[in-house]
Amino acid sequence: MDWWYYSTTPKTVKGGIKAQSRRGSFGQSWWAGRWNSVLEEYDIGERISRGRTYARKGQVESLKIHQGKITAVIYGSYKYSVTITIASIDDSHWRRVADRIFSQPVTVAKLLAGQMPDDIEHIFSNLGLRLFPAKEDIETDCDCPDWSNPCKHIVAVYLLLAEEFDRDPFMIFKLRGMDRRKLMGFVGLNTRAGKVRKDRKDKKRRIQSSTKKPRANLRLADPASFWGNAMPRIPENDVNATIPKVDAVLVKQLGNFPFWRSHEQFLPAMAAIYHNASVRGADIFLSKSVDNSDNA
Amino acid sequence: MYILHSGMYKGLPVLWAEDGNQSVLRAYSGFMGKTNLAAGPAQLRAILEPVGIKPKKIMRVTIHLPTARGKPVPSDESLYGAASVPAKTGTITIVPWVVNVAVLDTADLVLLMGRVSGERVLLRGVLVGADMAYMADLMRLAGSLVARQQYLPAVADNYGQYTAVWQPILTGADSDHFDSLLSRMPGAILCFTHDETSVPGDTLYNILFDILASLLGMIIRSATHDTAGKRGRKEFDSIHDSWLHGLRSTRTTIAASDAPQLLEQIHEWHRPVMAAAGMPLRFCFRLEAPQSNKGRWFIRYLLQSRDDPSLLVPAKNAWTSGSKLFPENTDVREFILISLGYASVIFPHIASTVAGRNKSGIDGSVIDVQTAYEFLTRYAQALGQAGYGIILPSWWTGRGTRARLRARARVAQPRMKSSGMFSLASVVEFDWKLALGDRGISMGDLEALANAKAPLVNMRGEWVEVSPTEIQKAVKFLSRRSKKAPLLDVIKMGMGNVSGIGPDADSLKDMDVDVSSSSRQISDILDGMSDRTRLNKMRQPDGFAGTLRPYQQQGFSWMWFLQSWGLGGCLADDMGLGKTIQTLALMQQYKNQNDPDCRDPFLLICPTSVISNWHREAGRFAPDMSVMIHHGTDRYRTAATFRKKASRYDIVVSSYGLLHRDIDIIKKTKWAGVILDEAQNIKNPQTKQARAARMIDARCRFALTGTPVENNVGDLWSVMDFLNPGFLGNHEQFRRNFFVPIQARQDEYAAEKLRQATGPFILRRLKTDKTIIPDLPEKIETKTYCNLTKEQVSLYGATLKALYASLDRLDGIARKGMILATLTKLKQVCDHPVVLLKDNSGITASKKGKKDVIQTRSGKLSRLIEMLTEVIQAGDRALVFTQFVEMGHMLRRHIHETFGHEVLFLHGGTSRKRRDQMVQQFQDAGTTGPHILVISIKAGGTGLNLTAANHVFHFDRWWNPAVEDQATDRAFRIGQKKNVQVHKMICSGTLEEKIDTMIENKKTISKKVVGTGEAWLTEMSNEDLRKMLELSADAGMMEEDR
Repeated sequence: MDWWYYSTTPKTVKGGIKAQSRRGSFGQSWWAGRWNSVLEEYDIGERISRGRTYARKGQVESLKIHQGKITAVIYGSYKYSVTITIASIDDSHWRRVADRIFSQPVTVAKLLAGQMPDDIEHIFSNLGLRLFPAKEDIETDCDCPDWSNPCKHIVAVYLLLAEEFDRDPFMIFKLRGMDRRKLMGFVGLNTRAGKVRKDRKDKKRRIQSSTKKPRANLRLADPASFWGNAMPRIPENDVNATIPKVDAVLVKQLGNFPFWRSHEQFLPAMAAIYHNASVRGADIFLSKSVDNSDNA
Repeated sequence: MYILHSGMYKGLPVLWAEDGNQSVLRAYSGFMGKTNLAAGPAQLRAILEPVGIKPKKIMRVTIHLPTARGKPVPSDESLYGAASVPAKTGTITIVPWVVNVAVLDTADLVLLMGRVSGERVLLRGVLVGADMAYMADLMRLAGSLVARQQYLPAVADNYGQYTAVWQPILTGADSDHFDSLLSRMPGAILCFTHDETSVPGDTLYNILFDILASLLGMIIRSATHDTAGKRGRKEFDSIHDSWLHGLRSTRTTIAASDAPQLLEQIHEWHRPVMAAAGMPLRFCFRLEAPQSNKGRWFIRYLLQSRDDPSLLVPAKNAWTSGSKLFPENTDVREFILISLGYASVIFPHIASTVAGRNKSGIDGSVIDVQTAYEFLTRYAQALGQAGYGIILPSWWTGRGTRARLRARARVAQPRMKSSGMFSLASVVEFDWKLALGDRGISMGDLEALANAKAPLVNMRGEWVEVSPTEIQKAVKFLSRRSKKAPLLDVIKMGMGNVSGIGPDADSLKDMDVDVSSSSRQISDILDGMSDRTRLNKMRQPDGFAGTLRPYQQQGFSWMWFLQSWGLGGCLADDMGLGKTIQTLALMQQYKNQNDPDCRDPFLLICPTSVISNWHREAGRFAPDMSVMIHHGTDRYRTAATFRKKASRYDIVVSSYGLLHRDIDIIKKTKWAGVILDEAQNIKNPQTKQARAARMIDARCRFALTGTPVENNVGDLWSVMDFLNPGFLGNHEQFRRNFFVPIQARQDEYAAEKLRQATGPFILRRLKTDKTIIPDLPEKIETKTYCNLTKEQVSLYGATLKALYASLDRLDGIARKGMILATLTKLKQVCDHPVVLLKDNSGITASKKGKKDVIQTRSGKLSRLIEMLTEVIQAGDRALVFTQFVEMGHMLRRHIHETFGHEVLFLHGGTSRKRRDQMVQQFQDAGTTGPHILVISIKAGGTGLNLTAANHVFHFDRWWNPAVEDQATDRAFRIGQKKNVQVHKMICSGTLEEKIDTMIENKKTISKKVVGTGEAWLTEMSNEDLRKMLELSADAGMMEEDR
């Protein structure tokens, strides 16, 4: 047992990145599990559970993912910098992976939709490669005084990444040296589908259909169009107010917000808001004039 | 009169009002340092108070209005004197003005928007501006998006100010609806923020989107306020806490240095949804059913154009050869793959079928019947919600009546007791059978089906939904069911109401029940309910002094049929089709039975303004029916006297006001039937009159109304529950089973069930029905009898007194002059006291709590407004003739204030040019143009062509039929395509009625003598003159119901 474990309490980090799992494993997906399993190959004792606690408490102040590298700032007794470097797979190998992946529509479809295809590891191993880094693919560094590498700080950062992969498995590809655009480019798919228009003038983004219909100007100096007279009421043919059976489908489709820092968990908070608001929205849609007068 | 307007000020809707009481839209340039345009703070409060709204704050704000010659151009020129309206020829510029605006809190704003939605007036005299109505429509769209959860949390960047916002996601129908709203946006919405003369279309899109987002956020925050926690909190642990807080509360600012990074992160996080929403097409799943139970179910993948949903391209084709639907620079394959990938998260089955090395993999997927059923019942909705197009087989979407398990009850011949009396309360025996689709199915087959556990079964080429649990429940129910019930409950069952048949009823709740019978008597009832053309047509009752037209005979027979079974019905024929005489025929027939058990009187409840009309019509069409009017201060006040007196009459007529006030007396009398005229008076079940109506003890119940009750689901329950208590369940059940599904989800199945349950009890014929037209004359003339108010009665008396005082002293020209002047005065009194007294000091609506002062002073005016309500609801147009210019002005203003439609008034002072303009405007009016044209009979009784009108009201009488007919012919002439209804309004008991009777009785004299005008009256002896002018004892008086 090391003196290290008893002598310090970590500094409180305001608004640090917090793991969304309250207990059990980090990340729900099988690929997050695969990512984490490499930690078991290290014999670092209690550091794993300390790292888990740090990740949940929000000791990590910042975390950045680069191609093949992660940098993070984390607080223990003091502020430490963590770097994790993952060995890249070179492009020639990636090209072969891409060919395999794209021969199966379901694999691509899943990848693009934020799901790691079930047979992805097969594809890699058939080519003599591995997607999930093993011990020898990982190089870690932390400037804390612990002699162990990985230390609990590295563990915390590592685990937070697992949750991020839940949402976007492409992140693993990125750490292995391949980004989305480049991979798609290998097989002739470009990823510019459905651009979100950005209106430079007021810096707000709104969804706009790509088939832009010409829109008439509104003439404010014309009294009829200013006051809106002679404009018939718009029929609401297809508009309805059905309360969905499952709450917050759109948010759930997008998944957890990346590197969430609040103590309140993101998805449950959203589901509660959507749930309550739905009822209110339907009430407003249904509110019709009610004549309460007793007329004789 | 006020016109309410609404615009966006600092991201929230605010209100202001134009004050039409000013002779001109008074306004002062904001630059001049003066204020006061339109309604002031006190007026704004007074306008909102009757609706139960207190503004949170009232403040002065600069707005930008179109302005000509130094004056703002008002929204409705007809509100102001013609002279004060700026000429349209002048250049119009946008100029800043200052107004008072009311800021409301969210709950009040929502309440107000609900009230004005689809209405033209909020209260009499408070009109809803088009911009305000538009805001209400936006609010409804926002409510609908919130209900369906079509939005995402986001952050907005307003020039470096970061705020938490909720962003609408517009796809499919929402996007279309938004586009059509965009094309109709009134500029007034922008008057707080925009001072340009024109706003480019693309900018407008962003503006409207932001307004919608504000409303949406307002609604969401109003529902999450409680969970927002410490509201005043300024310090947040992280930017995410600040964002979350801003999303829930009204403190939306995110004051953190890393806000720009958060914005970028959110955009990245949104990307998949936004990318799909921004495409001109969407991915679409079509479920294709096999021809038989052994075939294969298939979900085909298609690409569907958003602009034209009928434009479908198989994904397979697009994959190989692309599609024109795609914008340039986008990849069809990637779109297909992403779409399928996301869909597989929602509907996992897709994943296993996308597999395959070749392009055939994206054609679609083969599924089994169980999966197909799950797709229909669960996944289709979830996918639709996620933005996918869904096309389901029509046998599923239209599965109202056919493709389901149904129960059949066959009622046996009732065993008659010796007395032979048979009623709906009689207990009958019946046999239960089950049917699947159209064909009966044996218990054995059914159990086999249940065991097969296939949720969808093809029977004779049609797919039928069989829920094994439902079958089990039904089988269990049938084996235990006692097979006896009162006939009424059996009939209710056939109409979808199973509550009467006992505690096990729930297992039949979702099942349709068909009822049939081998008994002639019972099948007659059942047939009569389901198809009223099969009813025995009744002969017109003896003693009925009129002739029923064929459709009236049918209506009367229907009423008789319901009456004989103790059921209630709503006769909702168009105005002018004769609801009154069909009802009188019914009561006459009842009396003719001469049955000692059927001696109770009928109770007829109507608005005060039509009491005397009923009195007169009963006298005319059912002369041997005796009528008691329960009205006025000298009415019977105790239950015992009332019962005793009432029992001597055939009909007792009273008002809604007294129905509620005297209900303790009324409910202690037994009635043959109760009839509610203008039954929309009880559409709100919470009102006192509606509650009182339900307490009356009567053998049968009828409701008469000219407004289409069946179109307004919300109003239907109260009337139906009065007619046949319990048939639609209690109000809460009704809301749950019908109102919410139909209004919120457009649930066709619920709508069909409701039609089924109410159809047998509502009879509505339109003047335009092909079956009615041959029975109708091209011109229908009716006399509408009105009451005088107390004030009118006393003025009438005073005017006569003045005449009598001088009559004996005068002769010759002086006498004639005095008589003619008195005649005019009396006619003015009958029209409205103000015409005589000229005391109209511009009284308008909503003076705190006071009810429409103008209208309550004249019985005729009240009646006219009631009748015009039906005219306007039917989308018809009307001419209103009067001989008094003052009356004409008052009518124009009052009708405008009541309905919010522009009303034209053509009189002697109208210039030739303006006259032509009015005629043109009236004849060409679309749905928004003027519906009512008031005409001074002297100025417009001849020459004009006004065939757009199909109603002609003679508000006062001109004792020359030729003049009246000529006026009527403005509408009734070549070019008229509809039947014309002529309403001659007469105050009962007054000279109007007496002269009318005289003209009717002595047609020959009238032609010779009366044709020359009113001079013949001056030739009468004093005695005859008194008789002619004196208010007769039965003059109906409109009193306050005290």
